[in-house]
Amino acid sequence: MKTNEYKKMELKTEKKNWGTSYGQLVWQQFSKNRTNLVCMWFIIILFTIAVLAPFIANDKPLIIHIDGKVHFPLFDTLTANDYAVFIAAITGITLISLIRRNSRKVDPFLRSGVLWKQVLICTGTLLVGIILLLVFMPRKLDATDYRAMIASGKASDAIFPLVPYGYGRTDIKVSQKPPSNEHWLGTDDVGSDVLCRLIHGTRISLSVGFVAVGIASVIGIVFGAIMGYFGGKIDFLGMRLLEIMMSVPTFFLIITIVAFFPRSLLNIMIIIGITSWTDDARFIRAEFFKLRNQDFVQAAISLGLPLRSILFRHMLPNGIAPVLVSITFGVAGAIFIESALSFLGFGVAPPTPSWGQMLSTGVSTTGEFLWWLTLFPGLAIFFTVTAYNLLGEGLRDAIDPKLRKAV
Amino acid sequence: MTENGKILSIQNLSTFFDTELGVAKAVQDVSFEIEKGKTLALVGESGCGKSVTALSIMRLIPTPPGRIESGKIFYREHNILEFSEKQMRGIRGNKIAMIFQEPMTSLNPVYTIGDQIVEAITLHQKKTYEQAWSMAQEMLDKVRIPDPARRMSEYPHLLSGGMRQRVMIAMAISCKPSLLIADEPTTALDVTIQAQILDLLDELQQSENMSILLITHDLGVVAQRADDVAVMYASKIAEKCSCKELFKNPLHPYTQGLLHSLPQLGTRQKRLNTIAGNVPEPLNFPSGCKFHTRCPIGCNDKRCQTAEPELKEVSKDHFAACWYAPGYEK
Repeated sequence: MKTNEYKKMELKTEKKNWGTSYGQLVWQQFSKNRTNLVCMWFIIILFTIAVLAPFIANDKPLIIHIDGKVHFPLFDTLTANDYAVFIAAITGITLISLIRRNSRKVDPFLRSGVLWKQVLICTGTLLVGIILLLVFMPRKLDATDYRAMIASGKASDAIFPLVPYGYGRTDIKVSQKPPSNEHWLGTDDVGSDVLCRLIHGTRISLSVGFVAVGIASVIGIVFGAIMGYFGGKIDFLGMRLLEIMMSVPTFFLIITIVAFFPRSLLNIMIIIGITSWTDDARFIRAEFFKLRNQDFVQAAISLGLPLRSILFRHMLPNGIAPVLVSITFGVAGAIFIESALSFLGFGVAPPTPSWGQMLSTGVSTTGEFLWWLTLFPGLAIFFTVTAYNLLGEGLRDAIDPKLRKAV
Repeated sequence: MTENGKILSIQNLSTFFDTELGVAKAVQDVSFEIEKGKTLALVGESGCGKSVTALSIMRLIPTPPGRIESGKIFYREHNILEFSEKQMRGIRGNKIAMIFQEPMTSLNPVYTIGDQIVEAITLHQKKTYEQAWSMAQEMLDKVRIPDPARRMSEYPHLLSGGMRQRVMIAMAISCKPSLLIADEPTTALDVTIQAQILDLLDELQQSENMSILLITHDLGVVAQRADDVAVMYASKIAEKCSCKELFKNPLHPYTQGLLHSLPQLGTRQKRLNTIAGNVPEPLNFPSGCKFHTRCPIGCNDKRCQTAEPELKEVSKDHFAACWYAPGYEK
């Protein structure tokens, strides 16, 4: 068969240079700026902390000897949630490394096909893993105080994580203590370790940022694509709806909605998502207006391609760049909104750690200003939001062809 | 239209555009037919409605502001103006394919050549990915792209204009359409490539028994390739006859002017002959015969200024729209 011959040829030409792709061009431009790289690494570190949070800050020891037997309490008490995060992280890393590998080893023509198979396999494993976890992982509650056991001599040779406190631990004896050797960043009003809560709060902030923006961008892209492609009456009605959405002050709308729904993380994500898609929709609409009359889109229509393929296969990749930038800014915005909501007491319910909610405990009931409760979560929010904003700006500059000189 | 051999038959097609300044009548009352395996050339100056006619056939007129005001377009025996968008998708690419004027921008920059041809093939034919791929490669070979296996995995920006136009042709013919609309396929290319592309179209036409609607303003191209010619002027057909007849015996003063303005090989001319004046704007066409403002015969004629001549058969298979065409008023 001819096909096989061609495939053989490809294997031979594996080391061939396929030229610079658009992504590589953007990356070259992006990585020239040191600020961008610093921000990127900061966010990667944040992600690592978020994923490994239970291993960094936990009141259960990694290994402990009780009556001569070896126990692994930390692993025993990991929840299905934790495992789901691990699986998702591993899948994500695998995918990214596969994409990088593809761009070096696989013929560009086969790339999308190969990638699809890989994505399908990865998401398949992810789903199966999570379902298995939910079915077979009973949540184990372990209220044993291992430190007391060590103190009383029952157990020995324990290895604790870096921050040996759980985020839900309350110990009124040590409440509102400033930073010390035991509690590096101090304790809050119920005696929880601030550092531990900061580390676990990373999860909340990052997941809110991503899920909310994911929802917003899907709505925005579909809405904007339809408006931009069809134009005319559909565009008119869509834009009026969008303008109504924009004229409502988002933050107050969110507060109002939050008041009616139970305080859960998912609700907050959804609410932020469905109120912040307007920018994405406007960007995509503008891009699609421009692309609509491009020859290759006309050519695609004249080939008889279905609408779905024209909109999302042929037009979207050509107009996605400004939305990528707005997504980066959107993540920062969503983290900010979540912090603000939690600060005002509309956010996630207390034992769940959230940076904004920690900020709000900075002033005690007696009116005393507890600086460590304000400074550290404040800095965490500040650095994260700044990193995302700088990243967005870097991305915008890297994508803008006018700023791109000969690379 | 059940007559055998007629692939496309357009009857009294009018396409208008609603603009802020009024209704622009881009195409008015245009009728022509294309027979199986034949080439019809649609000739005219820029802005005379050639491309709008082509887009109307594909139903690619952006609405609004454009609309097909009246007329019928028969593909075989179906009036495609009555088709739903879904039915139309089955016609586009599969039965009627189109090559666009500008090869530099007609390919999607984010996909490889192979990807784009394969998508076109798998859309209309039941083929597996691998089959479609080797078919696409054969197509590239057919349009004489050197080293098709390598080109398949390249992005459009790596190809020259001529190559891209070949890819467009390969894509258009990959579904074996019975009618190919070539909207100035060679305008953006240099002369040697032009000849190659036209040869290629000729060859493919013969091997696939395909009809071609060739839209051009190059009379040299028309003389070589077309079987029939329709000359368009200011949204209407001015003259319609076989190619030989047109060059031997042009009847409409506009056609005569066009032929007269061709450079002659072997004669030394300081200046080329031109037709005086400009094409009237579709927003305010002159009254009467639309050509009378530039016509050497009709510029002072009362009848030409007030009454518009219809397209009439003046001799066998020779249609003209001019009061002064011999045999017009029998």
